[in-house]
Amino acid sequence: MSELSRKFYQDFIQDDRWKFITNGLKITLIVTLLALLIGVVIGIVVGIVRCAHDQQTKQELRGVKGFILKLLNLICKVYVAVIRGTPALVQLLIMYFIIMVSARSKILVAVITFGINSGAYVAEIFRGGIMSVDKGQMEAGRSLGLNYVQTMYKIVLPQAFKATLPALVNEFIALLKETSICGYIGLNELTRGGDIIRGTTFDAFLPLFGVAIIYLVLVLIISWLTSLLERRLRKSDIR
Amino acid sequence: MISVKNLHKSFGDNEVLRGIDYEIDKGEKIVIIGASGSGKSTFLRCLNLLETPTSGQIFIDGEEITAIGADVDRLRQKMGMVFQHFNLFNNLSIMDNITLAPVMLKLQSKEEAKENALRLLQRVGLTDKADAYPAQLSGGQKQRIAIVRSLAMNPEVMLFDEPTSALDPEMVGEVLEVMRELADSGMTMVVVTHEMGFAREVASKVVFVDEGIIKEENTPAEFFANPKNPRLQEFLSKVL
Repeated sequence: MSELSRKFYQDFIQDDRWKFITNGLKITLIVTLLALLIGVVIGIVVGIVRCAHDQQTKQELRGVKGFILKLLNLICKVYVAVIRGTPALVQLLIMYFIIMVSARSKILVAVITFGINSGAYVAEIFRGGIMSVDKGQMEAGRSLGLNYVQTMYKIVLPQAFKATLPALVNEFIALLKETSICGYIGLNELTRGGDIIRGTTFDAFLPLFGVAIIYLVLVLIISWLTSLLERRLRKSDIR
Repeated sequence: MISVKNLHKSFGDNEVLRGIDYEIDKGEKIVIIGASGSGKSTFLRCLNLLETPTSGQIFIDGEEITAIGADVDRLRQKMGMVFQHFNLFNNLSIMDNITLAPVMLKLQSKEEAKENALRLLQRVGLTDKADAYPAQLSGGQKQRIAIVRSLAMNPEVMLFDEPTSALDPEMVGEVLEVMRELADSGMTMVVVTHEMGFAREVASKVVFVDEGIIKEENTPAEFFANPKNPRLQEFLSKVL
């Protein structure tokens, strides 16, 4: 026991090493939340463009408006294909060493990379959600004189959101854990913080299990918050 | 009021409407009948452009709704539509279902819309459901709400797309009753239905659509007593 407490002291207390963990946690949370925000915004836009395109008939896609929509759809399709088709780590390295080579903030590089990355996944989640809403909902809105955007915003998206929530939370959790690859560009997030302690004290057990437990607790908190939200959203399902 | 000229509609290679010409005057109650796949629902859905016609023109009060750049959203406000599957907004309460469009389109203030909704709900006997959600209602109740939701926009014409076809038999009556009252109040109505009794009693004209064209049109008395078109004779012998 004294051996364990000696190691605990050495790993976390001595030289304020716990700061590697807390600072790392802070960076992990910042990167995850900002990236998720960007991802959801990109995802909604791309998801709606893809759906708007797929829900039109060929006739409706004629003309200038149709051409713009077709072009946007193509761009969105390529974006999703490229992002989903390459590893996040490769994207991060390309972003850091090539595209944003002059950027000073590694956090910024990570936020943008993960934002763009999760945008592709969120777009597909939203697309599935929007497609799952009965076509009649859109028709009813349009028949009352509401336009596409109004109907989407008030009727379809709220229902789609409810249907996509579990998948969205999945993406959130995956994103949280995936930020651990930021160590590759020298960003001291949570995982790297633990690893730095391991490298300094030559004790792997406590730092790595400590990091693992923190991730686990974070995910459990997210799951719990989700279940609260779902209960509220279920209001309209009561029979 | 509504004027349809040489309306064609194809889905891919399948030509569903093959040239429909028709005029609907204010206050008329047109009942459209026909076998499934005859194009009667497609015709109705073309009237408010839920289906885009392949060719042909549709005029509402002299304005061409099929013209390029026509303000379709504004023209749709004049036409209420009631669907076979009700299509109430599942995420909104009944009150919000009814008031959403008039308030969002700035036609009525929130208070006005609410008052109006309550008055309409009273008319169909569902005042107590104002705070309920669609999932809590029976089919007949949903369809009566759907009619109210359209009426809240003060439309000039109401389109009904098989409004009773998805209902349990004992609920058909309550919906037809509301439609009958609506007809008595002088509303212009276009109804696609299989309810021959309703057609006989309420219609000012009955229209038989078959193979994408209007094969026969007459007053209900003549239409059912002396059908001339052989396809119509065959159809009526099966359904009556």
